[in-house]
Amino acid sequence: MAPAGFTVMRAVATFFATRLARALVAVWLVSTVVFVVMRLSGDPVPLLLPPDAPRSEYARVAKELGTDRPLPVQYGVFLGNALRGDFGRSIHFREPAASVVVAYLPATAELGLTAFALALLVAVPIGVLSAVRRNSLVDQITMAIALVGQSAPTFFVGILLILVLSLKVGWLPTSGRGDWTNLVLPALTLGAFTMASIARLTRSALLEVLRADYVRTARAKGLRERVVVIKHALRNAAVPIVTITALQFGTLLGGAVVTETVFAWPGIGRLAIQSIYNRDYPVVQCVVFVSALLFIVINLTVELIYGVLDPRIRPR
Amino acid sequence: MSDLTRRELLKAAGVAGAAAMLPSARPDLAEAQTTQKRELVVAQGGDIARFDPHFSTSSNEIRWTFNLFDNLVSRHPDGKLHPGLATEWKLTNPTTWTFKLRPGVKWHNGDPFTSADVKYSFERTWDPKAATRVNTVFTTVERVEAPDPMTVVFTTKKPDPLLAARAAFYGGQIVPKKYLETVGADQFNAKPIGTGPVRFASWTKDDRFVADANPDYFGGKPDFDRLIVRPIPETAARIAALLKGEVDMITQLSPDHAERVNTGNTRVVGALYAGLYVLAVNSKMPPLDNPLVKQALSLGIDREVIVKELWRGRGIVPNSQIAKGDNHYDASLPPLAYNPKEARERLKKSGYKGEEIVIETTSGYTANDKPMSEAIVAMWRDIGVNAKVEVLEYSVRAQKNRDKTFKGLWWSDPTSTLSDPDGMFWRLLAPGGPQDYWRHARFDELGEAARFSIDEKFRGQTYKEMTKIFLEHLPWIPVIQPYEDYGLQKHVEWTPNPNQQFEIRRFAFKFRRA
Repeated sequence: MAPAGFTVMRAVATFFATRLARALVAVWLVSTVVFVVMRLSGDPVPLLLPPDAPRSEYARVAKELGTDRPLPVQYGVFLGNALRGDFGRSIHFREPAASVVVAYLPATAELGLTAFALALLVAVPIGVLSAVRRNSLVDQITMAIALVGQSAPTFFVGILLILVLSLKVGWLPTSGRGDWTNLVLPALTLGAFTMASIARLTRSALLEVLRADYVRTARAKGLRERVVVIKHALRNAAVPIVTITALQFGTLLGGAVVTETVFAWPGIGRLAIQSIYNRDYPVVQCVVFVSALLFIVINLTVELIYGVLDPRIRPR
Repeated sequence: MSDLTRRELLKAAGVAGAAAMLPSARPDLAEAQTTQKRELVVAQGGDIARFDPHFSTSSNEIRWTFNLFDNLVSRHPDGKLHPGLATEWKLTNPTTWTFKLRPGVKWHNGDPFTSADVKYSFERTWDPKAATRVNTVFTTVERVEAPDPMTVVFTTKKPDPLLAARAAFYGGQIVPKKYLETVGADQFNAKPIGTGPVRFASWTKDDRFVADANPDYFGGKPDFDRLIVRPIPETAARIAALLKGEVDMITQLSPDHAERVNTGNTRVVGALYAGLYVLAVNSKMPPLDNPLVKQALSLGIDREVIVKELWRGRGIVPNSQIAKGDNHYDASLPPLAYNPKEARERLKKSGYKGEEIVIETTSGYTANDKPMSEAIVAMWRDIGVNAKVEVLEYSVRAQKNRDKTFKGLWWSDPTSTLSDPDGMFWRLLAPGGPQDYWRHARFDELGEAARFSIDEKFRGQTYKEMTKIFLEHLPWIPVIQPYEDYGLQKHVEWTPNPNQQFEIRRFAFKFRRA
C-alpha cells in the first residue's frame, strides 16, 4: 500500500507545483502588461496639478512620484517592491496602494459572493427544470428570460432595475452600500449574466446526460425520476457546470466594474476604473494583481473539485 | 464641470421611457415639501480623495473643504466678498494688506484660532517641504507677519488689488498650525480639523463622508445636525436617488435632465457659471495664426442654436473673454455674432486654402464637449472650412495641455477664480501661462498693468482696450457661459454659488420646516 500512496502524493505534489508555477507566470505576465500599458497611455502628473501650474511644478511632482525615471528603472523598482508585497503609494490617495485596495475588497467580496450564490441557487434548479420538462411552456419561458439576461448589457439591467424596483415600486434603495436591501439590486444585476449562462448550460448538459445508457438503466431499475435526475444525471452533468461557473467568476469581476459604478458600490471594480482615469499606477497594479490572484486560486480550486466529482480526472 | 456622457443620457432616457408606464412610489406631494429632517444628504458625481485643503483643487473636494475650513474672506452666492475669519481688511499702503481677525473663534478640537494659524497656512502653501498642490496661488505675496494674535499683515511683491479675492478661493483655507504640526500631514488628512460649520466625523472611501454640525460656529450652527455626502458617479442613479427622496441635493445635473427633476417634490436650481466654455486656439499653427481665419470661425458659430438645442436654454452667449458677473464685464457689448455670409467673406480675404482645422475634444469631461464640437464642425463646413473633430481621452488632453501640443482648437472651461478678469483670461493667456500660444505686445503690456494696479478705474479702461484686441485676434473663441445646475428636494432652500463652492452655511442653506 505504501508505495501506491507515495505515488499518489507525488502526483498531487507535481500537480500543485506545475499549477503554481503556471499561476506565478500568469500573475507576472499580467502585472507586466498592465505596467507597460498604463505608462504608455498617459502620465498622472498633469492630472494632479491645476491647469495653470508652471513647468517647474510638473518636474517637481514627476520627481516626487518617480515617473521621471527611465521605464526599465521604474519597472525594476516595481518588480522588486511587488515581490515584497509593496505596491507603492497611491498617487491619488497618498497612502499605500495595498491598504487602499484592501479597504475596497470587502464590498466587492460581499457583492460578488451574493451575486454568485444567487446565480447558482436560481440557475441550477431552473436549468434542471427546463431539461426535465424539455419544450414545455416552463422551459420556453425560462430559456427566453435567460437569453435576455445573457444579452442585456449590465448597465441597462442595472438602470432598469433601479427605475422599476426602486423608483416606481419603491421596494429597494436606489444605490449605495448599507443593509441587505442595498445588496439586492446590485447582486441581481451582477448575477444576471452568470445566472443566465449557468441556467442554459445546466439545461443542455443535463439533456445530454439524460440520453445516456446508464440513465436508461437507472430508469429500467425502477428508480424514482427524482433520484435518476439528481443522483445519476446531474452528478454526471456537473463537470461542465462547475467549469463554466469558475470561468464566470472572471465575468463577475469584469461586471463588477460596471455594476459598482451604476450602484455607487464602493468596491475594487469602481476603484480600478477611477484609478485608470487618474493614472494611479500603483493602485491599478495592485487591483490587477489581486484580481488575477483570485481568478487563479478559484480555477485551482475548481480543478480540485473536478477530482471529487469525477474519479477519471483525479491525478494518477 | 460635469462628468456626463451623451451615451449615458441616451441609455438612461430609453430606460426611463420604459419605466414611465409603471405607477410611481414617490412620496406624497404636500407632505414632502416641508421636513423635520435633521440630516442633510448630498450626492455628487465623484469621490473625495483628500480633505487637506492644500492638496486639492478638484470641485468634488473643495465643496467640502470650504465647509470644514474657513477662509479669511468668504465669497457669497451674491458674488461679493464678505467677512470670514477676518472681520475687516484694508490696503494700508500699495503693497501692504492688513487683516483684522475674528476674536473668539475655536478650532474643532477646542484650540483657539489666532494669527499664527493664518501665517502658518499661507506659508505652508508655498513651502517646498510641504509640497502642496496650491503653491502658485499666492505668488504675489512677499511675506506674512502676525504682529499680534488678531492681526495679520501681508506684504506683496508689487501692488496686488486682488489679494482678498485670492484669500477667498482655494489655497486660502486656514489650517490649524498646532494640530498639523503635532500629528503630521497624513494624520491631518485622515482626521481634518477646521473652524468651519461642519466637523469631520468619518469617511469611508467611495461610500460616504459624514460630518456633524458645529454648534459653536461663529456664523451660527447650520440648519441640520449631520451632513452626509455620497459619491454617485452615474447621473441616472444620482437622479433616481433624488427622485426617490434618498438624498436632499444632487450636483452636476445636466440640462437634459432638468425636466425630469423639475416635477413633483424636486426642483432644479442653477447659477450662471463663473467662467466660460471656450474653444482655445493654437494661434501658432497656420492657418490659425491669421486673425481673419479666427474671426471667420467665430462668425460661423450659431451660438443661439447651441444654447437652445444642446443646453436646453441653460446658458447665455458670451460677448467677450470676460464672464458675466465678473469685475469689468462690459454689459454694453453685443453677444458674439453669427453671420455666415461675413464669415465666408473674411475667409476669402484671409487667403484660406482649405487647410484642415481640428477640434480636439474629450467626450463627457466637460458637459456637452463632444456634441458641441460636432455641431460647430458642421457649421464651419457650411462656411467652407475643412473642419474635423478628434476625440481625446482626458489624461491625453491633460498631457497636451502641459506640453502645449494641441493641433488646432480644444475645449477649455476656465473658472473665474477671483471674479475678476485677472483670475480668468489673464491667468491662462498671459506670457508663460498654460495657454500661451499667441502674443501681442500691447495686450501683454496692458495685462501686466491691470494685474498690478490698485486703481479700479484704470483697470476698467485697460480691460476695455484688451477686449478690443482680443475680439480682433481671438486667442480663444468663446462659445457659451452655461448654468451650473443642481437638483433639490422642495423642502430644501438653497442658493448656489457661481464659482462651484457649495455653501451650507446659514446664509445659503435651510430646510423648509412645517
